[in-house]
Amino acid sequence: MAIVKMKKVTMIALQSEKSTIIQNLQKFGSLQIVNLEERIAEQGFEELQPDNDNETVGRLEAKLSQVKYSLDFLGKFNKVKKSMFAPRIQVNESQRKEYIDNEEKLRIIYENCRSIDSKYTEIKSAETKLQNTISQLNPWISLQINLEDIGSTQNTNTSIGFILTKYVGEFKEAIQDENLEAYLEIVSEEKENTYMMIVYHHACEERMLQLLKQSGWTKVSFSEFTGTARGNIERLAAEREELDKKKDELTKEAEGMVPEIGFLEILFDLLTIERDKSSAVNDLGKTDKTFMLKGWLPERSSDELVKLMEGITDKYTLQFEDPNDEDDIPVLLDNPAVVQPLEMITEQYSLPNPRSIDPNPVMTPFFVVFFGMMITDAAYGIIMAIATAFVLKKFKPGGGMKKMMGLMFLGGISAFIWGGVFGGWFGDLIKFRAWWFNPLEEPLKMLIFCLILGVIQLYTGFILQAYKSIKAGKVMDAIYDQVLWLMLLTGLMFLALPPLAAAGKYMAIVGAAGTVLMSARSEKNIVKRLLSGVLSLYNVTGFLGDVLSYSRLFALGLATGVIAQVFNAMGAMMGGSLIGKLFMVVFLIIGHTFNLALGVLGAYVHSSRLQYVEFFGKFFEGEGKPFDPLRIKTKYIQNE
Amino acid sequence: MNFVELIGNSGLFLAFLGSAIAVGLAGCGSAVGVGIVGQAASGVVTEDPGKFGRTLLLQALPGTQGIYGLLIGFLIWSKIGVFGGLLPVTTEQGFMLLLAGVPVGLVGLISGIYQGKAAAAGCGIIAKRPEELAKGMVYAAMVETYAVLALLASFLMLNGIVL
Repeated sequence: MAIVKMKKVTMIALQSEKSTIIQNLQKFGSLQIVNLEERIAEQGFEELQPDNDNETVGRLEAKLSQVKYSLDFLGKFNKVKKSMFAPRIQVNESQRKEYIDNEEKLRIIYENCRSIDSKYTEIKSAETKLQNTISQLNPWISLQINLEDIGSTQNTNTSIGFILTKYVGEFKEAIQDENLEAYLEIVSEEKENTYMMIVYHHACEERMLQLLKQSGWTKVSFSEFTGTARGNIERLAAEREELDKKKDELTKEAEGMVPEIGFLEILFDLLTIERDKSSAVNDLGKTDKTFMLKGWLPERSSDELVKLMEGITDKYTLQFEDPNDEDDIPVLLDNPAVVQPLEMITEQYSLPNPRSIDPNPVMTPFFVVFFGMMITDAAYGIIMAIATAFVLKKFKPGGGMKKMMGLMFLGGISAFIWGGVFGGWFGDLIKFRAWWFNPLEEPLKMLIFCLILGVIQLYTGFILQAYKSIKAGKVMDAIYDQVLWLMLLTGLMFLALPPLAAAGKYMAIVGAAGTVLMSARSEKNIVKRLLSGVLSLYNVTGFLGDVLSYSRLFALGLATGVIAQVFNAMGAMMGGSLIGKLFMVVFLIIGHTFNLALGVLGAYVHSSRLQYVEFFGKFFEGEGKPFDPLRIKTKYIQNE
Repeated sequence: MNFVELIGNSGLFLAFLGSAIAVGLAGCGSAVGVGIVGQAASGVVTEDPGKFGRTLLLQALPGTQGIYGLLIGFLIWSKIGVFGGLLPVTTEQGFMLLLAGVPVGLVGLISGIYQGKAAAAGCGIIAKRPEELAKGMVYAAMVETYAVLALLASFLMLNGIVL
């Protein structure tokens, strides 16, 4: 199937040609270098030592982090959002050199960003401090006396503070009742606290302090301020405005640097390429004059590698080996263009085990059919297919976006076909006769059709498992585990169909008996073996559950169709006058867009689920590690 | 006229009750579920506003229950002719229409809330490992299975009622 066969490569060449070789390997882009550090001891060859180029890696990493910091920082000020499909930047060879040698420019940009950033942070904290002081002063805004006058004089003591509002009455009464020589002015009141100024004669200080303590007095002091509270607040507010202005200036300064983002992005990619080359050296082994490299390579590329090496030098050895049982083979998938979008679905679950099978080619027809059935609207399908084909053609996206668009394109075509089959064109807006039947009129027929599709996919899963066993040479396992089981299930289903019921009975009996006898064949104890055999019959209910799960094909397709009808009916209510018709059109466009988006989301999630839970559960082995060759990885610039 | 007599006289009343249960309860479930995901998603977006789109995808998931409810409600209304000339509905038929609305309403309520919780937890995946979003979506979709089954049950019941 479509897991690419890998070869182990061992290469020995001269140190003096190392950097040229690595550079060419990176351009070649099909060799995954394995770290030798731990295996060097096994070689039993003392002169072979782990190679490293940590100095260069460290230097490049440091520069990269500067670039990344500046990019992130300036990105916050960049108001022009980059389109998802924006074409990549083209950079030629002389520009490359110019960019990477321009260390001065990077240094200036980075330092500017740093200084703006730290100034900004400073201003922010100064602002917070100001704001805090202002809010402390705010309750005292109507206090008439100057803040520096608070305190003791020869005969009196003046202080400000607050007590809990609920004690204010009691406090006042106490002063009045005891005829204390004290003056009290309430400056402001809040729900919790009442802010006040009190002036009293030194003679009654002791009693006053006692009373204040009882009322929960908190003394406030503004010793560092002169003038009235109002004056101070105004001064501080002016200061804050000043800071705001400074902040604006800094923002402008940063915005002025936004055009440098282009330079930084290119530099980021170029530095990444250099860094990858240098860190590849860390995976090598070295002697005085030579270096050793081990890695993985797709079998089909081995000739190309030989040719590549011959083009560089004649002083090298190359050795190709087949992987042995302990090797951790990296997984690379190779599928036709139609299947490629589906790789995304499998990768989201897990890459297949390198010794197992690639489910993508088998999964493709199921996924696409299910995706379409969950939308079941021909018009929606056409819109999806045209929109995604346009994006694919016009913007030529790469990687995940390309796969996603491809998936939507296939799904759109499928939705168109199923929409035609079951007569859904914008719900019931355009009344074309269904090519087959209308599921709203014959729901049971539709339900059975969906369940049959489910049975087909589940059987495919069982057959794939049997195929795996046979491939591994365990033909009997395939017969005991899958053939008997399929006989039982098929027999049970035949029982429901009168003409086949007799045949079904015997098939079910043979299948069941075989399963009881053989399912736990590794168990030595005969009683235990039969017991767990009987228990395994219980899996029939699991199968039933799996099949019923496919009823979602009907339910989700139905939901899309009926919601479209609801929108159409609501739209029709508006369509009386000319203005009403106008509203109706706008309403229908919005409604159907919403329904399409929701339908696609549901179809994507639920089709995936059917693969992951129902289908993969039958045969799939995951946890493959992706093939990650040394190659030119770019984020922003066009890769030639 | 007491309450029993009132409903005794009107199958239509029961049919409306059925559609109200379908639309109302399922809608509540979705509202709560979508709300829960929204809270979690806001937390993720404060850290990284670029993740808005992905969190929105998760937030949309528990929204389907409300739509399933509306769908059944709509089918009940069109059956009894709310959109043009109410049909006579006997008490027995009314009760059947009422019961047809119950599965999608009840399951929609509960599954909407729990799908919301599962999707909110999925927001954690987006925060830490955004490339694994699909797994979070599948976890949430597992809950929705039962809403889908209930929708199917309601639909089949409704389909079997002849007025």
